[in-house]
Amino acid sequence: MPTANTEEENSKSELQKNHGGGGGFTRWAVVAVIFRLALIYFPGNLNLSSRPEVSTPLTSIRRLAEGYWLKQSSMSPYAGSMYHGSPLLLSVLGPLTVKSRTILTDSVAHCRIEGQPSHILCSLVFVLADLISSILIRATGRKLQIAYRKSLKSLNLLNKSTDSGALSSGDIAALVYLWNPFTIVACVGLSTSPVENLFTILTLYGAATGLAPLAAFGWVMATHLSLYPAILIIPVILLLGYGPDAPPSKLFRSKEHGKVGDGKSSQEIIFSWRRVFHLLVWTSLWSVYVLVLCSISVKQHGSLQEMFQRTYGFILTVEDLSPNIGVLWYFFAEVFDFFRDFFLIVFHSNILFMILPLAIRLKHRPCFLAFVYIAISSMLKSYPSVGDSALYLGLLGLFLDELADMQFSFFLFCGYVGVSLLSPVMHNLWIWRGTGNANFYYATAMAYACFQIVLVVESVSSMLNHDRKLTKLSTSKLQK
Amino acid sequence: MAEVEKKEVAAATPPWKPKPRPIVRLGIVLISHSLLVSVVCCTAGVVALFLLPMLAKNTYISENALMPGSASSMLSNDDISEAERLAKDLTSLNSGAADAGIERRRVLAKYLSDLGVEVGYHKFEPHQNQFHPLHFFSSPDSGLSRENGSCSSYGINVVGIIRAPQADGKEAIVLVTPFNFRKNSSSEALSISIGYAVFSLLSRVTWLAKDIIWLVADSQYGEYASVASWLRDYHIPVFSASSSHNADSCFEGNNINLLREESLDRTEISSGFRRAGTMAAALVLKVTDVKGQLEDTLSVYAEASNGQMPNLDLINVVNYLAVHRQGLRVKVEKFLSVLRWEWIWVLGDTLNFIGKVAGSLNPEWKFGISTPDYVEGTATLANSLYRQALGIPTGPHGAFRDFQVDAITLEISPKVVYTNQGRRNEFILRSARLIEGVVRSVNNLLEKFHQSFFLYLLTSPAKFVSVGVYMIGFALLVAPLPLVAASLYVDANKPDPSSQGPKHKLQINFKPWKWLSAAKQVFTVHAWGVFVSLLPYFISQIPNSTPAAHSIIWFSLSTFGLLVLYLITKSHSKPQKGEWENLKSVTISVVFIGLLLMSVVNFATAQIGALVLVPACLLAQPLKLDIRDASLKSFLRIACNVFISFVAFPPVGFFVLKGVNEGFGDMDVGEFWTWLESLWAWNSATYIYIGMVHLPCWVLCLHILLHSC
Repeated sequence: MPTANTEEENSKSELQKNHGGGGGFTRWAVVAVIFRLALIYFPGNLNLSSRPEVSTPLTSIRRLAEGYWLKQSSMSPYAGSMYHGSPLLLSVLGPLTVKSRTILTDSVAHCRIEGQPSHILCSLVFVLADLISSILIRATGRKLQIAYRKSLKSLNLLNKSTDSGALSSGDIAALVYLWNPFTIVACVGLSTSPVENLFTILTLYGAATGLAPLAAFGWVMATHLSLYPAILIIPVILLLGYGPDAPPSKLFRSKEHGKVGDGKSSQEIIFSWRRVFHLLVWTSLWSVYVLVLCSISVKQHGSLQEMFQRTYGFILTVEDLSPNIGVLWYFFAEVFDFFRDFFLIVFHSNILFMILPLAIRLKHRPCFLAFVYIAISSMLKSYPSVGDSALYLGLLGLFLDELADMQFSFFLFCGYVGVSLLSPVMHNLWIWRGTGNANFYYATAMAYACFQIVLVVESVSSMLNHDRKLTKLSTSKLQK
Repeated sequence: MAEVEKKEVAAATPPWKPKPRPIVRLGIVLISHSLLVSVVCCTAGVVALFLLPMLAKNTYISENALMPGSASSMLSNDDISEAERLAKDLTSLNSGAADAGIERRRVLAKYLSDLGVEVGYHKFEPHQNQFHPLHFFSSPDSGLSRENGSCSSYGINVVGIIRAPQADGKEAIVLVTPFNFRKNSSSEALSISIGYAVFSLLSRVTWLAKDIIWLVADSQYGEYASVASWLRDYHIPVFSASSSHNADSCFEGNNINLLREESLDRTEISSGFRRAGTMAAALVLKVTDVKGQLEDTLSVYAEASNGQMPNLDLINVVNYLAVHRQGLRVKVEKFLSVLRWEWIWVLGDTLNFIGKVAGSLNPEWKFGISTPDYVEGTATLANSLYRQALGIPTGPHGAFRDFQVDAITLEISPKVVYTNQGRRNEFILRSARLIEGVVRSVNNLLEKFHQSFFLYLLTSPAKFVSVGVYMIGFALLVAPLPLVAASLYVDANKPDPSSQGPKHKLQINFKPWKWLSAAKQVFTVHAWGVFVSLLPYFISQIPNSTPAAHSIIWFSLSTFGLLVLYLITKSHSKPQKGEWENLKSVTISVVFIGLLLMSVVNFATAQIGALVLVPACLLAQPLKLDIRDASLKSFLRIACNVFISFVAFPPVGFFVLKGVNEGFGDMDVGEFWTWLESLWAWNSATYIYIGMVHLPCWVLCLHILLHSC
């Protein structure tokens, strides 16, 4: 309970001293970093890096260390179904896992026997990744808020109360991301998800600021690392094409009609094909670049084909059925083998089915669309971890103004707290005590999925309500 | 009801809106009648708790493979006389001599190696239980630091292993007899004879499918410590070079070498740690002298740490064989003080009467229970709940449960101290046959115990309440919590018609997020709870102080912390409308989550905690409001609130319970400290519950009571 409240507590404190501005953010960010460092140096006996909630077969640092070891001993890092991540990650993080061992020989030698190597350097990288992510979220939030203000102004809806309320949603989102217990646990528990999240956020930042090369780089890297961000290409294109989130475009149009006489130049929203074209060019460039790097990296012991098989193939075929907080492992453990392919297609197309309708309905709010996509994919992905939830919960803060009157916030909060505490207990009951069984743990996974669904549904509906409200206000204004 | 529902819906939703879905409507009805629902549910929950002895079912053997008592015993008098010879040899050694312990071990090892089984010594250092507040969430081995203790104090267990002649050696059954090698005790010698009689028989039989391990646990540092350290070494091999080096240095100049060299045949006593397969079950055998019994009795102890129980089948087999084959009286512990309570007898009479009336109305309704049965069942159930809630294992069997091995302690007490050899032999024969029967049953198992229950409460050796039944009462008790939380939340966040802003301005109001400030308060108090629960770790480091001093330091530091928190977070603004409702709503939600979690971790704690916390939370309402109201109802509520918040304070609750049980004679402030220290020393989740759920929620309830609204 205590840690779970931290996030809300801080966003709250931020809400209260809403004039704090940049100073408040810096202070809290520094405290967050110190808090992480303290947790890293003081690992306690929680075994975070072996918790199924934190490290999945894709993000576990122990698997990465194993892959690096295999590579060092001239074998394919993918041999033996241990490592399933990117070869680039292996080259960057792999040396750190070994180095830390040699530095802290004495204490680590003791730890290693327990199967718990301590990777101080790696965790520093993750802390840094978290910090950069939060700064990027903050910058994105600023951008979004400026755009929001601008569009409200152009609709003549901006009044004093909204203007003076200087609580920056970017600051809050960044702090929510930094202080979210899920983020902290993922960072301290040495999963690679902070790095994956960083690239996803980088994509959004690049797209929101209109930097096509940056957005392309982020998207290519994020897709390379965890595949699911691939669907973010749609929000990125929309973001680059239309610009950041705005009220529905027909509102502006109707405004034009209403004030047709005053001769102002029409503020038509034009889809900028040039930027999209830039994006596509840069994407292909970066993809080639990453592929070349990968092929250099795996050349000695394997091939690119093996890499694709062991990373994307592993994600798509759900080979590893060890329990996690997702809903797929149990299902595929139970399903008959000859139906397996069918259900694989069904489950994966679940994500794909939702892409188009959501894109049509939310095309004027591409950032929010990205949030919804991330939330849905982190719910339905094959190896979810709390790091994925940390990402979308952080992004949720970006839409604070729009989602201010979201329903069930208290219910959802209690649900998240309850499930995240109940899930380790059920796991313990099943694995260590032997008095429970897999159903106990899976029940919490289903409850967790339900809460995520409620969160997505509620946030989307309150966003649409917000749009409706804007429409109502602006039409009533026009009629006056 | 339908009328009310319609009205309710009409009130809740504007007429032009479509009707909400039925489940939503049901929720609205429940929430709007939360007072009635909570009174009904809480009462039903308490009633259900008292009905549990009536609802208990007879135990039955669920696993077919066990087949208890289907084979006749093979134990003969030769085994007994051989065992008695061993016991005599052990007791005849002069207990005063310094090396009597070594000599006894040597004698025992010689007897064992004469049977042709593998014998080994296991040396261990008993170490203090340490405070691992997060132990529950981790695996049994993690966080266990292998400190290099001093070589001065150590114990040596003697381990004998029979390899099953026709098995692959992947499974084992463990027999444990605690024995203090330094002391001469006739009852411990008796338990050794029983163990040896069984063991010598098992070393000859051909039907063994699992290896048999006999652990004679050196009990000079406590029975639990020796068994626990043996189990740890059995399951967690040490690979690091440093520790073995250390062990060698300890062996240097110690008499374990002496022991080894003096033993007759060195080759037969292994130097390394001997292992067999995974353990299917374990039996701890003890003989005690209890005066004034009518017949030979067998007491069964099953509670392991954090209220975990062995599979019910194990108890069933023992119970079946003891009662139906060996004619022993089986009993489980019970609260004797419950038997003295008048109102329990009255309640039993009432239930009996109701049962009879119901039976006369319809002969199919057979839920009557005789009054003495009911009272006995209640006493046993109370003890069962209490032992599970404490989370402290009731014997050496608790160590096995940490490694998922089902184990129970069998404490056999003879009617009299036997002086006559014939009677004594007969007693040994019966006890040994019981053990043999149980071993034979477990030997039949194809898989681990899994058929029967792990979650149950015993109301007598042959009656139990399963999880499906006792959870109903608990669920009824906590069901009002979310309802009341929701209704309070709705009340506190009702749109205020007076403060409606101008229609044509876009207003971003964070009203739906008002609960965040309440959540912040709740979080702060819980952080304080964490601080309070960690304090004893530091206080206990203070040398040379009494428990009373400890508790006073603890109490004052905690109060100081609370004061500091209060001063820091105190808001000077005028209390807003709906503030205490929001606070209460969040508090109740937290209590609900905490109780739910605890019911999974340790049901008994959650049940007892719910009995106190649920009324305390539900009744809490600012005293100011009640005083302003000045009606009979509000005075009643004030009285209830004051009483409950007095009793719910953990130390007061402890002393009240103690006083009820043992009389309010001599009370020492230090006792509470000692009790809590035992809780945290045994890694009981109850300690965490008290520190992180109960205490903060109590403080929050007080805060609500004293709220200046």
